[in-house]
Amino acid sequence: MGYLSTICILSCINITAVLGLAVLTGYTGLFSIGHAGFMAIGAYSSAVLFLELNLPFWLVVPLGGLAAGCSSVIIGYPAFRGLGKLRGDYFAIATLGFSETVRLLLNNTYPHFGGAYGLTGIPPLTSLPVAAGVAVLALLGAHNLMTSQHGKNCVAVGQDEVAAQMMGVNLFTTKLKALFISAAYAGVAGALFGFYMTYLSPGNFGIGLSSDLLAAVVFGGMQSLIGPAVTAFLLVAIPEFLRFLVEWRLIIYGILFVVVMVYRPQGLLGYRDLDFSRFWRAVHGLRGRG
Amino acid sequence: MVFFLQQLVSGISIGSIYALLAVGYALVYSVYNFTNWAFDAFMVTGAFAAFYGISLYAMPFPVAIAFSIVMTVALALVTETVAYRPLRAHNAPRLFMMISAMGASLAVVNIANLAFGGSFRKFPEITAGAYRLGGVSVGRMDLFAAGFACVMLCLLWLFLERTKFGLGVRASALDTVTAGIMGVNNNQVALIIFGISGVLSAVAGVFFGAKYAVYPYLGTVTIKAMIGSIIGGIGSLPGAVLGSLLLGILETMISSYISSVYRDLFSFSILVVMLLFFPSGLMGAKRVVKL
Repeated sequence: MGYLSTICILSCINITAVLGLAVLTGYTGLFSIGHAGFMAIGAYSSAVLFLELNLPFWLVVPLGGLAAGCSSVIIGYPAFRGLGKLRGDYFAIATLGFSETVRLLLNNTYPHFGGAYGLTGIPPLTSLPVAAGVAVLALLGAHNLMTSQHGKNCVAVGQDEVAAQMMGVNLFTTKLKALFISAAYAGVAGALFGFYMTYLSPGNFGIGLSSDLLAAVVFGGMQSLIGPAVTAFLLVAIPEFLRFLVEWRLIIYGILFVVVMVYRPQGLLGYRDLDFSRFWRAVHGLRGRG
Repeated sequence: MVFFLQQLVSGISIGSIYALLAVGYALVYSVYNFTNWAFDAFMVTGAFAAFYGISLYAMPFPVAIAFSIVMTVALALVTETVAYRPLRAHNAPRLFMMISAMGASLAVVNIANLAFGGSFRKFPEITAGAYRLGGVSVGRMDLFAAGFACVMLCLLWLFLERTKFGLGVRASALDTVTAGIMGVNNNQVALIIFGISGVLSAVAGVFFGAKYAVYPYLGTVTIKAMIGSIIGGIGSLPGAVLGSLLLGILETMISSYISSVYRDLFSFSILVVMLLFFPSGLMGAKRVVKL
């Protein structure tokens, strides 16, 4: 049971982070290879608030998300001001630079943050119900957000920036909001991760984690929430059952990246989403026929 | 003063390795507007080919460099035909090419890790010893690497400016579609560009391996070259050389005068600052977004 619940908790944490990245990458079309940095900010800020100021757990987790969201403005504000100032892959590289800067700063900050030794003594407060509850809330929140006006703006920006702007969408605020929300999701996931592992080390939040998150979104599909969520679960669960392939994991990821981009750039469930109306229509159709 | 000059020499020595790779980044970016994340795979292939060529088959050093170049160019051309060409054919967004490149790099680097093991190997000694110039010691190998890099970059410049193929590459960099209409074979240009990138990264891999060690993750240094090319200006070849030398010197100065733990912190902060506030770098063209 312990083993199974570990997989489930880590999957739920991963799903929360991946949903945030799906909002940014899948819908708004901004690639980030630095979401590990936002997770690190969420994890460290919530743990430090808990340990130093004795704030309660239910408060520090959203505060971790808020801290990550606010930190994303540091990079988002200069990157998005003006007419699409930092486009495409150079935004992605800037996020990578940001997350590496965060990791190296944490690695060298010893008072309160533990530096390279890591931060210990965090109580294990992330239980399965908490992690699962947050993941479900994250999914519902992201779904509501993406069906709102803001979500439609995001999709428009992701499809064609110029056309979106001509229709009156404000590129700057749309992108900045998407980045803020996405970073806040990653921050909450990071906070839960810290309170599950009970130990934080800057090494946990390297480029590997960022590319794992991006992999889930790319494989899961653009403009989809359920696709990346399912993939996020699979990417945690499958390697556990295929332990003998552990050395091959990254090789398979790499080949899959190329194959998916060449043959199925829309991903597993691209441009499809959890659509209960279709499900109910099918049910009604069956009933009507019977 | 002697200490300062000594640091300057080591800065230039590492900067010249960055420069070889940074020119590759700039060349690919100038034509295809995407960052080729697979350079680390090319570099690792180059380093391993030379290392095993010398240690297993007792190749002389020039033969080993040639062998490493052949292997790396082969990999670069395979990557271009398998991972990039199909995407270009159906006009995929540039970001898809970047992800495809990340995939190629993940696969190749981890295959190297699995096949050869992750240990650090010492490169066989090529030329030992150092020249002493008024208290400053200049490693013979460093001097050779810097000289070789210089020759390679001059040859590249001659190729681009003085040959018909070079003209085709420059035309594609200006406007790929128009160049195609005017009779430039775009697929041939792609092979030339990735071939050149292969040669540059093989040489960089060999010299980096000889300077430090040969291991599967040595390609992570390519990110420094990318930072160098961004400092110099995205897509500008002379800018890439200048930016890389500058980065190499600044990194060495920070390691020796402040602390080596802040070296990478400095490099990544400069990456973020340059991208956010000076995206056209020192010598890059200002890109104006037009409808």
